[in-house]
Amino acid sequence: MSSIVIKKENPANTNVSIQNEVGKVNESLVVFVRAIISFFSLLIFARILGKEQISQLTFFDYVQGITIGSIAAELTTDLSSRAWPHWVGLAVWAALGLLMEVISMKWRYGAKVLEGEPTIVIMNGKIMEDALCKMQMRASDIIALLRCKGVFDINQVDFAILETNGQLSVLKKPIFQPVTPKDMNLTVSYDGISTELIYDGKVIEENLRQLNKDRAWLMKQLEIQGIHDVSEVFLVTLNPGGSLYVDKYADHINKVTDIGDYKGPY
Amino acid sequence: MRKFLVIAIPVVAIVAFILIMISDNWLKNSLGDGENIPDIISGVIEDINDEKWDETENGIRKLESSWDRVVNRVQFSVERDEINSFDSNLARLKGTVLARDKAGSLAEIYEALEHWKGMGR
Repeated sequence: MSSIVIKKENPANTNVSIQNEVGKVNESLVVFVRAIISFFSLLIFARILGKEQISQLTFFDYVQGITIGSIAAELTTDLSSRAWPHWVGLAVWAALGLLMEVISMKWRYGAKVLEGEPTIVIMNGKIMEDALCKMQMRASDIIALLRCKGVFDINQVDFAILETNGQLSVLKKPIFQPVTPKDMNLTVSYDGISTELIYDGKVIEENLRQLNKDRAWLMKQLEIQGIHDVSEVFLVTLNPGGSLYVDKYADHINKVTDIGDYKGPY
Repeated sequence: MRKFLVIAIPVVAIVAFILIMISDNWLKNSLGDGENIPDIISGVIEDINDEKWDETENGIRKLESSWDRVVNRVQFSVERDEINSFDSNLARLKGTVLARDKAGSLAEIYEALEHWKGMGR
């Protein structure tokens, strides 16, 4: 007959060591490492996915962004599961997003299926009720979007198109269009895009070289404006027309207009 | 050079992240002397089966010290639940060995082995 002999022992005399287990795994350190992984993965994926701004996002892009962000958050703090499956989820969502972008770019029909197409909601001044119904929008939504575009009288609208990103593009009737220099037969000088020459008290030599100017020319221009040192200037830009915009640190404005309602601090 | 770095840095970073995240399967295995946890566990199972309680206690101590070293390496890639469960099994195993409970000890050590196998899967 076999029997298990249970020796009664005082636990204090036992050979099995009782160690303090607390702190064996440093949760904060694990979260720190995972945060670095998810942060930089997200940054890299976002850069690969493109430069679309929030205002250009379609509804699906928006949902995709939220989902990827949520997976990254779980990757950082959900220590109950491995980091790898979360990261795979993150990578797959980013890869699918990229795939959809490539399909949209290369295949026009695919782009229409994936992203929808702009819908004319006002045509020749008439509201397209069927189009509104299809878009599940009310007339009041369109009127609100028109107001956001600075149009308060629907009589002024010739065409209104609801873009795939939810923005409304408005073409006013010719009679309500603003007058342009061309209408008035005026000649205007070309302004073009300004280039920064000094930013935060530092000369941007690269931009100077691109414009075939040098530091001596810049200093001469600043002297004309009564500036003797670059460090006095916050911003200097030059447009192709040759006009210089100069903003000094010392603005010499005695009374600053306060648009706040309360004294603060906030 | 700058263009090369713009591409190389993200690629290197992504590869490093992937290696950290999937390293658990390699890092949980023995990298030095006395770190082979499955071997130590099978030794402890034999000792429990033979009711050699002093040897079992030595085996558990060895298992604990190996686990302490391994867990530091794998903590970034394996799930915390498996680490916690393995810790709990070790703690309960100490109790069952103290009580000279063969059935309980075997149950705990086999469960610990299962958690070990589950790490990194």
